[in-house]
Amino acid sequence: MKALILLSSLGVIALLAEIFSFKKLLYPIVLLGLITTFVLNMFDWDTNKLYFKMMQFDNYAVAFTAVILVVAFLWFIMAEGFFKEESNLTDHFALVLFALVGAVMMVSYTNMAMLFLGIEILSIPMYILAGSNKTDVSSNEAAFKYLIMGAFATGFLLFGIALVYGATGSFDLSEIAAAVSGGTALSSIFYVGVLLMLVGMAFKVSAAPFHFWAPDVYQGAPTVVTAFMATIVKTAAFAAFLRLFSTTFSGVSETWMQTVWVMAALTLLVGNITAVMQTSTKRMLAYSSVAHAGYMLLALLAANNYSNSAILYYASAYSIGSIATFAIVNIISDAKNSDGVDAFNGLSKTNPMLAIVMTIALLSLAGIPPTAGFFAKYFIFTSAFMAGNIGLVLIAIIASLIGVYYYFRLIIAMYFKESDGQTIAVESNHKIVLVIIAIAIVALGLFPDYIIGLL
Amino acid sequence: MITTYLFYLLSFLAIMFALMVVFSKNPIHSVLYLVLAFFTIAGHYVLLNAQFLAAVHIIVYAGAIMVLFLFVIMLLNLNKETEPHKSVWLKASAAVASGSLLVVLVGSLKGAAGIQSAKTFDASIGLIENLGQTLFNDFLLPFEVSSILLLSAMVGAVMLGKKSIK
Repeated sequence: MKALILLSSLGVIALLAEIFSFKKLLYPIVLLGLITTFVLNMFDWDTNKLYFKMMQFDNYAVAFTAVILVVAFLWFIMAEGFFKEESNLTDHFALVLFALVGAVMMVSYTNMAMLFLGIEILSIPMYILAGSNKTDVSSNEAAFKYLIMGAFATGFLLFGIALVYGATGSFDLSEIAAAVSGGTALSSIFYVGVLLMLVGMAFKVSAAPFHFWAPDVYQGAPTVVTAFMATIVKTAAFAAFLRLFSTTFSGVSETWMQTVWVMAALTLLVGNITAVMQTSTKRMLAYSSVAHAGYMLLALLAANNYSNSAILYYASAYSIGSIATFAIVNIISDAKNSDGVDAFNGLSKTNPMLAIVMTIALLSLAGIPPTAGFFAKYFIFTSAFMAGNIGLVLIAIIASLIGVYYYFRLIIAMYFKESDGQTIAVESNHKIVLVIIAIAIVALGLFPDYIIGLL
Repeated sequence: MITTYLFYLLSFLAIMFALMVVFSKNPIHSVLYLVLAFFTIAGHYVLLNAQFLAAVHIIVYAGAIMVLFLFVIMLLNLNKETEPHKSVWLKASAAVASGSLLVVLVGSLKGAAGIQSAKTFDASIGLIENLGQTLFNDFLLPFEVSSILLLSAMVGAVMLGKKSIK
């Protein structure tokens, strides 16, 4: 709740900056505000407070809020350039902060109304930010596609919520759970409602076959916005997905288990195999982000007491790795005007620091020890094994082997190809944050207990 | 008894107008049929004792949003037929997907016959007083939070709409 209030007021302060002209101060204010929010959010740990019967800040919500805030902090530093354009600066700040409010709601809701509002508050700023590069046609296309497809998916979600409400008479998650386990036979519209909500949520996490928007939107949107979508939006959407299906709908798991099984397998294969064929790094990372949703679906499917912490760990490892890769893709595509794999040729000679951080981040995304990504996959696979989904784990292992191939294509380009000799200037704050991220990836991999033991 | 007949009449009209929205070639006709469809749905709201919702529905959807639609269509000059034809595969897969959804929905609604309302009948349930009580007691937080949703949509509209100052 503290996070919700603070982030909303930060967003309003960002808007006021235009009137009272303290735009120059806004960047440090927002960074400070995020740190304060993080600290205050931590005070909610173990309190398990229920606010207005609408939001519950249990440890699950606090932990996911913390991950979102840390990633948002790193994102703000990598995206500094996005907040330099004088005329739209305050709007960008406000929209991003409001999106974070939506993300916080999505990890802590206990009521379908809050879930819907959270998803919309997160999505609408994203639709707009995807089109924030107004002169670029592909940015416009990304915003338009995202808006139309997102609105369509929201329609499914709302229809699902309406049917669930019709069958149980409540929006409250605990009351719905009580109705599910109540013994009296549920009306058949309840099951359709669950499946329609599944469609809506699967769209938000870009799981196949609802992933078709992701590559176009991720590629067309400005790279910093893509980084936000691939990390914070995905983390929040998965937290919401898990909160809904692991507790409330766990009583009717036979309705959605098989569907999610097929979706997870499809997502893993489609995401990884299509990523191999991409020449644009941004598009490749988009497909890899689809594939990572597949791994997280594995833990969702397992629905045992490992899945919460497995998804928390996976989301943090994946988000931090993605922030680093997108930051570097952004730096390089700005300098070379191309986001193809060729743009990375010989990076280890011209910018060894960038190359090393990129390598660590890619190794983490590919799941090579001792990086965070390895343990993330390990925990996910363990949780799926415990639930007996051995077939799916096999598919996931094959898929991650395919993943290693395309991540290594970039690493090979950086180390074994000739460069054009152009050294790319990197701002010092980017350098610092990239080094911190690289250390964090390795540290998370060496000491996974600190996160995995939380939930 | 009369409500049953009204229900079937309104449902028939709503479905017919909705189909006309999809099938009419001229976008302006589509929008006008949509207005009619909204009116029939407002009629359903009245049948369900949601008078306030019916009024708001007509004012907001049939009034404001549809006028906006008409303006946009006229500004874009869409009244000639420019829509490109989709491939047969796309059409077939869309038909299969939406057909299966239809089957699932119809099948599930057959099982919905046994649903009984938990509350006893109350003719004033759709009036503003009851709505306000619910909105400001049970749903206070979502009500307040939706201001952020509207604010961000507004900021976004301004941001996309304004010229960048050089």
